[in-house]
Amino acid sequence: MYVIEHALLNLGKNKGRNSLLAIIILAIITTTVVALAIYNTAQTVMEETRRALQCAVRVAPQRSSPGTGVAVTAGGGQQEAAVTLEQYLAFASSQHLDGADVKEGGRNADEVDAVYFLKRPELLAVFEAELRDKGLPDNYSVKTDESTFASVAGPVESLQKLSLTFLLIVLVLGAVIMVLLSFIVIRERKYEIGVLRAMGMKKEKIALGLWTETIIITCLCFVLGMGAGSILSQPVSDAILAGQAETSAPGSSSLADRLNEAQGVVPPTTKIDIAIDPVTALEIFAVSILLASIAGIIAVSRITKSEPIKILMERN
Amino acid sequence: MTKCLELRNVTYRYEGSRETVLQKVNAEFEHAKVYTIIGESGAGKSTLLSLLSGLDTCQEGDIYYNGTNLRSIDRDIYRSQRVGVIFQSYNLLLNSTALYNITLSMSISESKIKGRQAKKQAAYALLAKMGLDRETSHRKILELSGGEQQRVGIARALAHNPDVIIADEPTGNLDAETEQAVLAIFTRLAHEEGKCVIIVTHSESVTAIADEVLSIQEGQLSKLRRG
Repeated sequence: MYVIEHALLNLGKNKGRNSLLAIIILAIITTTVVALAIYNTAQTVMEETRRALQCAVRVAPQRSSPGTGVAVTAGGGQQEAAVTLEQYLAFASSQHLDGADVKEGGRNADEVDAVYFLKRPELLAVFEAELRDKGLPDNYSVKTDESTFASVAGPVESLQKLSLTFLLIVLVLGAVIMVLLSFIVIRERKYEIGVLRAMGMKKEKIALGLWTETIIITCLCFVLGMGAGSILSQPVSDAILAGQAETSAPGSSSLADRLNEAQGVVPPTTKIDIAIDPVTALEIFAVSILLASIAGIIAVSRITKSEPIKILMERN
Repeated sequence: MTKCLELRNVTYRYEGSRETVLQKVNAEFEHAKVYTIIGESGAGKSTLLSLLSGLDTCQEGDIYYNGTNLRSIDRDIYRSQRVGVIFQSYNLLLNSTALYNITLSMSISESKIKGRQAKKQAAYALLAKMGLDRETSHRKILELSGGEQQRVGIARALAHNPDVIIADEPTGNLDAETEQAVLAIFTRLAHEEGKCVIIVTHSESVTAIADEVLSIQEGQLSKLRRG
């Protein structure tokens, strides 16, 4: 118990040194919050979009393969069998569906644009089998909308990769800085450690005291860092997304446009709303504690190897 | 008298040095006696105290405390409970108050005095014996004079009621009056409470209270006078 009391007293005694440590930890936690929040939100958007798009099934005639010379289209009275509007509408009565969007006028005026919304993505094969039973010709495909997903997912994936890279850099640099800083702090406190060892305080208790100090500072920084990170995550994410849209190829649409393209397929989205969920917060907390502990343990283990008299003689 | 500390063929040399500071030293220290060790600077007096107090270990030979080899006992417990060390350079926690230095020592040694208030009262009493009032007790070590720091160092060494008191020039910074008071405490602890008190000193007034005077010369410890 006295070890914890000693640690708490020390926090107040070494304000300058602890403030420096706090600033570094705060910077690491804030940047980690921003990076992890963006990463996790992008992940969620990707999953939700993928799920939404996997539920949207487009029934359309297969286009001719280059070189075969056989053109297969729907509704045009060509060589292959075509599905009528009535058939498309009949397909919509499947019990596996949540709804359907069937309208005339696809790429050609006489084509039908039919999108069916499955209750679950796993029902695709069952639904296709049902349509074949109902007379859907083999030259018609029953597919999820991969192209829309790809166009939506591209920038989000880039954002995710960017945030992950940023996160890794922050963590590696943060760990190095923390270890170096811990070394400096512990060196500065070598005399105090020597006195405590000379008084008979066990190495483990000294380490526990120093660790407690670091953990208290880390916890305070965690609260502040979560606040600062939450405020910064959204503008940083918006800025990155804006940059993505600007750097897109001429004529290509922005992420927002691409998401809107999928309107009716996925809910219309104009930006990613960055959120820090409890799991993200827990991850950040765990990472902070881990970094602080590793840095502290490395530094303390070096200093407590010396005999107390050697530490004291160095100083005296 | 029972043996408290015993040195058997103790040899010590500093790391990286071929020269031995202590060469096959044999000695016995008994309970209820005051010993003083004299010798020239660099003769190995402080080194001997470091070994006796478990702050360092010798390369050859063994030291026994109440018949048990120091190598086989937990030296942290030995330092915190059995031995009280008064350092020449005080070695106090500079950013803490005099009072805290004493109460922390009690906590580390798992003293019989339990509770924060009881420890504080015991610490006040100890500091008062050393001539330090309550106001001074609440001052940080850095704000105290050398003599006051030395008195805090002595109080800390006695805080956990150790069996052995080891002191390196304990009265070097004290005025004559305080020196006599401190020496009276040492004598009383030895003769009335059965403690073993070992003091390294250059002071004749300290040597005067010794039951035995030992001298270190050329790595050897020899008896000069028996009290």
